[in-house]
Amino acid sequence: MRERTIFDSLAWMALLLGALLSTAGFVLAFTTAPMVKGVDLQVFAQIGGVHVDYQLLFSQKIFYFHMPVAITSFIALLFTAIYSIIFLVKKDPKYDLRARIATEIALVFVLMTMASGMLWERYEWGVWWTWEPRLTTYFILTLMVIAYFILRRALDDPERRATYAAVFGVIAAVNAPISFLITRIIPTRTHPVIFRTDSGLPPDMLLPLLLSMFGILMVAFGIYRFRLREQRLRLQLEDLKAQLED
Amino acid sequence: MAELTIVRPSAFKQFRVLLGKELRQEFRTREMLTSMGIYALLVLVIFGAALSQAAQGFDILQVSGGLIWALIVFTSLLGLNRSFSSEKEEAALEGILLMPMDRSLIFLSKATSNLIFLLLVELISLPLFYFFFLTISSPAPSFWMASLPLLVGSIGIAGVGTLLATITSNARGKDVLLALLFIPIIYPLLHAVVAATTVVVVGGDNLVGTFATSLALAGGYDVVMLALSWFLYEFVISN
Repeated sequence: MRERTIFDSLAWMALLLGALLSTAGFVLAFTTAPMVKGVDLQVFAQIGGVHVDYQLLFSQKIFYFHMPVAITSFIALLFTAIYSIIFLVKKDPKYDLRARIATEIALVFVLMTMASGMLWERYEWGVWWTWEPRLTTYFILTLMVIAYFILRRALDDPERRATYAAVFGVIAAVNAPISFLITRIIPTRTHPVIFRTDSGLPPDMLLPLLLSMFGILMVAFGIYRFRLREQRLRLQLEDLKAQLED
Repeated sequence: MAELTIVRPSAFKQFRVLLGKELRQEFRTREMLTSMGIYALLVLVIFGAALSQAAQGFDILQVSGGLIWALIVFTSLLGLNRSFSSEKEEAALEGILLMPMDRSLIFLSKATSNLIFLLLVELISLPLFYFFFLTISSPAPSFWMASLPLLVGSIGIAGVGTLLATITSNARGKDVLLALLFIPIIYPLLHAVVAATTVVVVGGDNLVGTFATSLALAGGYDVVMLALSWFLYEFVISN
């Protein structure tokens, strides 16, 4: 019988605190964080007695959700790669379980990133999709995460399934940065992409971002631990059932 | 009494024997080459239908690099899928695995034979592509330089494809699964070689810069991915 570890008791706290922090982050994002200056307007306007000659981007508020979720998905995938490598070295099925659950968490956050990103893109760029480097890379990433699960489903032997999934996990983890690099460096004819490098956010914007960032990371950690415990209990149950039959 | 000495054959000799086996097997039946060649021809027919409604002045050169790579990716998928089917029949792979030798040699010989078959099919299908689609347009004089991205791209496809085909040869629904694993993994390489191929076919002022950058990136992908596949093959083949 496996003991409950300290992480399992932390899971509840992480989940609750994470929910609170990210909620606080979102509330602050809509209240104290200033709007981001968008394109200059052709016509001046008087809004609330203030002379306004540029558009304020309300749509930028999605950033406080989109970026933390995207970062969380990358971190989850990093853990997939790390646990996959450990599995290949040690051949211990418990690392395969961890790699699989990390990828499950990644899938959830990858889908949320895609959805929030596409909403913003439709509003700001006027299209649902364009083959821009970041989008392309992220789409490839999504496909690889989905392929990981389909590969697992197609293999019956547990040891073989674990090994092949780990091998694919490592290749996918190496492929993602290469994909970003290649799509970014090679110039395309139609869509010149400008990357903003000035990331110095004012404190009013940094605080809500950091709050939701840590909040969402903690939520992800909480879900991960719960899922891990549930899967472990399931394995134990199957063990017990098998013993009962013998 | 005569001395009995056993000389362990060198790695290169082992590789040559394995590669020779692959080539002999294929050239006896020509099963894979025939099916890949016919498939490539049929993809060209599909391109013909797909482009049949394009306007008269439509510049095919702009998309020809992309079309060539679409043709190569689909054809290579067919070949990769087949490359392990003969090993599965009669448990031939188990026989090879019984030999005391470095497992990565199996990877190397499979990848090399897949590369040779792919290049042979390209040698037949690309002149056909030219004949069907490019005779009315005039490719830039630098078009022969496209052979470089073709070689680099084919090496990457054969290398990564061999590893993934080994994985899927043991899985259910392997044909679709290989495509699902292969296409996202090959995407960066595809992006780079399409850029390199298109730029030499179309020509233009920024030719050398774009060509060199994208070819270097494709080469970098090949080096990283082949090293990784080589390293990981041990885990795949012994399971």
